[in-house]
Amino acid sequence: MNIEYLLIVIAIMSAATFATRLPPFVLFSSREQHPLLQFIAKYTPPMVMSVLVIYMLKSVDHLSAQGLYAAIALAVTIAVHLWRRNALMSIVAGTATFMACVQKIFFT
Amino acid sequence: MIRAALKTTLPIFFGYLPLGIAFGLLFQELGYPWYFATLMGVCIYAGAAQFMAVGLLATGVGFVEIAIATFFLNSRHIFYGLALLNGFGHWGFRKLYLIFGLTDEVYSLMTTIEVPQQYEQSKFYFWMTLFSQSYWIIGCTLGAWAGTQLALNTQGMEFAATALFTVLLIEQWIKVRKPLPFVVALIASAIALLLLAEHMLILAISLSLMMMMALRLTNQKVRDEY
Repeated sequence: MNIEYLLIVIAIMSAATFATRLPPFVLFSSREQHPLLQFIAKYTPPMVMSVLVIYMLKSVDHLSAQGLYAAIALAVTIAVHLWRRNALMSIVAGTATFMACVQKIFFT
Repeated sequence: MIRAALKTTLPIFFGYLPLGIAFGLLFQELGYPWYFATLMGVCIYAGAAQFMAVGLLATGVGFVEIAIATFFLNSRHIFYGLALLNGFGHWGFRKLYLIFGLTDEVYSLMTTIEVPQQYEQSKFYFWMTLFSQSYWIIGCTLGAWAGTQLALNTQGMEFAATALFTVLLIEQWIKVRKPLPFVVALIASAIALLLLAEHMLILAISLSLMMMMALRLTNQKVRDEY
């Protein structure tokens, strides 16, 4: 346990994290309306969201019961969202389903 | 405005609280006082990097390695600002804080929701960022401070992040209504998974961007329709 070491690590990590979030704002001014930049700005979010969902599902072991639970919870999330389009409700429903399955609430 | 921003960020609360607690729990095993977990949530504010830090701190890793590892782990964030160049307002404390707080979850929410018209966009974003980071800090602190005594069974709660991104993906589809970016991202992810598996995020996102740009530059149909 070395407080000084920890504080330096925290400072370095803070700077490194900020450095990954800053570049676009320094490189491009908000006035810039280059068509290619606008095109990228418009289509990065759907691509990033797709990649993030795939990334999250990647860590699930698909051949175990957990894969089945994740599939059920995902179906519940999507169904509730298409039904009500209330983000909070869909997330709570999906997460509750997954927790109930993992903690075997239905089986005991 | 504050209430509206709070309501907008509630989906993030369910993701950040359990994840923050998980981090705090892991962190307190290092033997440092609990308030250093709070400090990390305040200063670093990056989930994956903080988890990595616990492992690296235990091995007493060097400062240069820490800097490189953190930068690489978070490198996907380099692309996030592109979609928000207009929304963060003028340079100043607020803009710097918005850039500092641009995590996966906050970025996803900001690029999906519409800020209610009566509010100034960058101010609304400021409250969203502040609330989101608060959830994270509360989680980190709770986990490190009371983690072991916490009787709460949070097993499976990590699914909240998956559910959040899924919901926002559906919203993106409703907003965009064109298949190309989703198909491109799917192909890029498949390639990235095959090549890198653990560190697929940065590769998948940069590949998606490159493929999308290449398609636009070479294909007349893409240029007309997108």
